[in-house]
Amino acid sequence: MSLKYGILGLISEEPLHGYEVKTRFEAMLGGTWEVNIGQVYSTLQRLERDELVEAVGERGDRGRLAYQVTDAGRAELQRWLSEPDAAPQQIHDELFVKLMLMRRLANGNLEALIARQRRVYLQRLRDLAELERRARAEQRPDLLLLLKGAVIHTEADIKWLDACLEEIASLQPYTAESDKEHST
Amino acid sequence: MSDLIELSQVSKIYNGGAGQTALANVSLGIPAGQFAAIMGPSGSGKSTLLNLIAGLDRPTRGEIHVDGVSVGTLGETALARYRRRRLGFVFQFFHLLNQLTVFDNVVLPAQLAGVKPREARARARDLLDRLGIVEKANEYPERLSGGQRQRVAIARALVNQPAVLLADEPTGALDSRSGDQVMELLAGLNRTGQTVVLVTHAAPLAAAYATRVISLRDGRVVDDAQLEQPAVKAASDLLHLHSEEAD
Repeated sequence: MSLKYGILGLISEEPLHGYEVKTRFEAMLGGTWEVNIGQVYSTLQRLERDELVEAVGERGDRGRLAYQVTDAGRAELQRWLSEPDAAPQQIHDELFVKLMLMRRLANGNLEALIARQRRVYLQRLRDLAELERRARAEQRPDLLLLLKGAVIHTEADIKWLDACLEEIASLQPYTAESDKEHST
Repeated sequence: MSDLIELSQVSKIYNGGAGQTALANVSLGIPAGQFAAIMGPSGSGKSTLLNLIAGLDRPTRGEIHVDGVSVGTLGETALARYRRRRLGFVFQFFHLLNQLTVFDNVVLPAQLAGVKPREARARARDLLDRLGIVEKANEYPERLSGGQRQRVAIARALVNQPAVLLADEPTGALDSRSGDQVMELLAGLNRTGQTVVLVTHAAPLAAAYATRVISLRDGRVVDDAQLEQPAVKAASDLLHLHSEEAD
């Protein structure tokens, strides 16, 4: 969804070609999202189909076509901007499934798995700190906000691992019986 | 012994044998020049560990060597000398003496350690200069911001050229910008060879500045992670703003 509205928002500033949309979008997000040009064109086509943008003028050099926002597009953008994001939260499903399976297979001996995961998160925090330094040096306070978000999420991931350690210590050993009790 | 700080099988139990175990069989070595963070929630034993290294408390069992000194066996006088000469402390709430100027706060520990006055003053001036607060030398701590006070505290901690700088939640009382500046200072000192042991509950702080993160829980080391230098090519290698499609 955010690519669609990101493109709509950029075109609402001024008419743009597909390639300009791609470079502006990537610059806006400070290199955190590399967009496939094909994805940009297919999104533009859907926006045009839904009458949120329209082609402007003739095809330019190399056959490129610029798009401008329509009144309906501007209204749709305003509606989207004013709405809170209420989509279901993204959780690390792979790690959770691993934890569940390890509980069955290793009977609760999850410390090693959790310790390995913890190191990944700590290294991520270190790498994010480096990106923050770079963003500061490049005077990108907007990008710093995104990175701050990533740091806070990673910190929460570590807290979740700590909570898992604590909870697991108090769990009854896994048996096939306990599974059946939950499913009835 | 190759490590600057070496703990072997160290336990600390409060209130005698039936009491509470604050540390259980902790063994670890910290080499000279390392920036190590000790991390853990409240009650995990990180303050106990710091106090034992600092000689502020004695282990119930096990041995602690710091810079060749067997800390657990020293008498009180020798312990006081050990703390003055080999350790520098930085605390959350600075612990500066408000009736002394910034300069005198920094000079005082050197005088107590028997450094000649001229040498002590030269060291204090040099440190205040390195830490960017030399123009505050004649002010009183109460007139300084939190970040500036912590810089004074760091200068004071370094005046006796300690083998180890112990920093206990040094940014806990600072806003994030001042906190970052203080951490950058500690990292800069570490780059010049200063061994730093940071105690914190904040994972982002530990991971951003320390090269090693020791995690404690219920008095035990649950992880001891060496972190690698960031080798990130692009933000997109780390962050993935996901793209969905088609509606």
